[in-house]
Amino acid sequence: MSVAKTSIKAKIAKVLSVRHLNDSTFVVRFERGDFQFEPGQYLALGLKGKIQKREYSIYSAREDDFLEILVKEVLDGDVSKRLKTLNPGDELEVQGPFGYFTIDEKKKEKHIYFIASGTGISPCHSLVMSNADLKFTMLHGVRTADERYDMMDYSKGNYVACTSREGTGDFYGRVTDYLNKANIKTDAAYYICGNSNMIYDVFDILKGAGVPQDQIHTEVYF
Amino acid sequence: MKYHVITLGCQMNLSDSERVTTVLDQMGYTYTENEDEAQVVGILACSVRQKAIDKVYSRIHKWNKRKDKDNLITFLSGCILPSDKEKFLKLFDIVFQMSELQKLPEIISQYGIVTPAALKQEFSFGVNNELSTFWNIDPKYASKFEAYIPIQNGCDKFCTFCAVPYTRGREVSRPSNEIISEVERLVLAGYKSITLLGQNVNSYGLDKKGEEISFAQLLDAIGQVGDKYPNKKFWVYYTSPHPRDMTNDVIDVMAQYQCIAKQVHLPVQSGDDKMLIKMNRKHTMQTYHGIIDYIRLKMPEATIFTDIIVGFTGETDEQYANTKKAVADIKYNMAYIAMYSQRPGAVSSRWADDISMEVKKQRHHDLTQELGKHTEVYNKMLVGKTVDVLVTHPDRKDGFLSGHNEGKQVIRFASNDHTLIGNFVKVKITSSTPFSMQGELLKVHQSVDLKLV
Repeated sequence: MSVAKTSIKAKIAKVLSVRHLNDSTFVVRFERGDFQFEPGQYLALGLKGKIQKREYSIYSAREDDFLEILVKEVLDGDVSKRLKTLNPGDELEVQGPFGYFTIDEKKKEKHIYFIASGTGISPCHSLVMSNADLKFTMLHGVRTADERYDMMDYSKGNYVACTSREGTGDFYGRVTDYLNKANIKTDAAYYICGNSNMIYDVFDILKGAGVPQDQIHTEVYF
Repeated sequence: MKYHVITLGCQMNLSDSERVTTVLDQMGYTYTENEDEAQVVGILACSVRQKAIDKVYSRIHKWNKRKDKDNLITFLSGCILPSDKEKFLKLFDIVFQMSELQKLPEIISQYGIVTPAALKQEFSFGVNNELSTFWNIDPKYASKFEAYIPIQNGCDKFCTFCAVPYTRGREVSRPSNEIISEVERLVLAGYKSITLLGQNVNSYGLDKKGEEISFAQLLDAIGQVGDKYPNKKFWVYYTSPHPRDMTNDVIDVMAQYQCIAKQVHLPVQSGDDKMLIKMNRKHTMQTYHGIIDYIRLKMPEATIFTDIIVGFTGETDEQYANTKKAVADIKYNMAYIAMYSQRPGAVSSRWADDISMEVKKQRHHDLTQELGKHTEVYNKMLVGKTVDVLVTHPDRKDGFLSGHNEGKQVIRFASNDHTLIGNFVKVKITSSTPFSMQGELLKVHQSVDLKLV
């Protein structure tokens, strides 16, 4: 019997560590090799020899000599459960990079508002960590304070946690509630990443405030 | 020894099937329409609809029952979801991707059935087993005048309604020298219509990161093949491009060469920006309109086709109205309108299919009516004009032949002369309907080559 292989030669990478951020969310760090990417892009990843693959935004910076992804365990998921129990030395198959959620030089001159929900912060983290001079505000929608993943990586005052289920963040409510009360700058660039309903609502608020569409960038998480 | 291949799904699968049958023919097998008398039976599967998957299960259970009394080898290829593949590996003897096609003779030979191929020790199709070498296999084209050339396989776009990235894998471009050679061979063999195939044809070359030419450069090279043989009339099409990668230089090249057909099939899927986000299409209506404007500027004569999904998860009346407005604004020459249905393995299959069938049907009907209003106006403008038509088949209407013009619009005319099939003729358009035209045959094109018919 012939077992079909993947259509593109996947890179094999060894796991370096798994860092748990709370009960369900963790960062998988693995070998980078010669993998090149633009911050904001994603990769497809699975366990070596397993058919199932999933897409994850790259969490680490362009200059890091390793790759990282931010993963939330999906209860009925297949890949994320396996990733959670990885050990250093385990092997992964990595394909990519893919995607267009990147920042060009012209946009870097503007103030950038990242608006992310949950693990949708992952590509924004990579963008911030790869661009030291970026003028940005990170608006992060989470349910509870323990989902403020690596908040210390963002300079003080640039990170705003909107907690929807408890008042322990910087703002009690959803990111949309925050934006509805905020003075929205029409000359800024907006990078939105998360579930499509959040993106829809933010999109409406920004367009309603007069932000030109070519200054709004989206990446849908599923 | 006989084989039978069942091909399900899209044009990509048909093209792949042509290459599979070539390999089996070269092994010494002969094709049979009757699967019950075949010793090698296979399926080119499609995962777009559950119905197609069900067909695969139904066939393999039947074939596996037949194995109790017959010596039978079963194989499966095409678009297969990872979750289905694990199950199929237990049911089929051989499951392979198209990139592994060259190994098929070797694998079949190992099954112990004596075939001419199994007896020939040095049997080989190529010099190596590189993943892309299946493209080198000269296909047995199903038609003598229309050919489909795969230039790229897989998809990196991850539209939420589609499972192709999971079934065919990531984008891999075929070497450009092979494509250009294949086009030239076909032109010299008298082919009149050549379609470059790929899930996202215009992202051709991007996966090679600078080591391969771009899609615009590929079209340019193909255009030069046309210039090299000015007495050979043929039209080159491509399908489907993605708006995200549709650059002006592609349109510039199309405008430059006579052999590149002035027809663009540019899937929009929805005319609403928020729906496009949910579909993960990576283009906005603003950028899409920009492309259309440039096409109209550089090639005013070009026809524009599209694909549209109505009733996608959560589509509101207002969002549908935006799609209808896009159809009215752009005035497509043709739109393939699909009512949304969940596709196994696609991201959107995890979301509720919450638009009722009644609403989907109503939107489908309404949009078809809207489309018809604009195609009718365009088609009427052609009445009285003389156009080149590639005759493709006998029409359903007795005593008529059917074909299409350069813009891929259907045109029929009265004739019983089936030798015209596969040739260019001049037709004067005499009447039109929203989706077809009728005309009278004026003359057979000068470059007609009746030997091929």
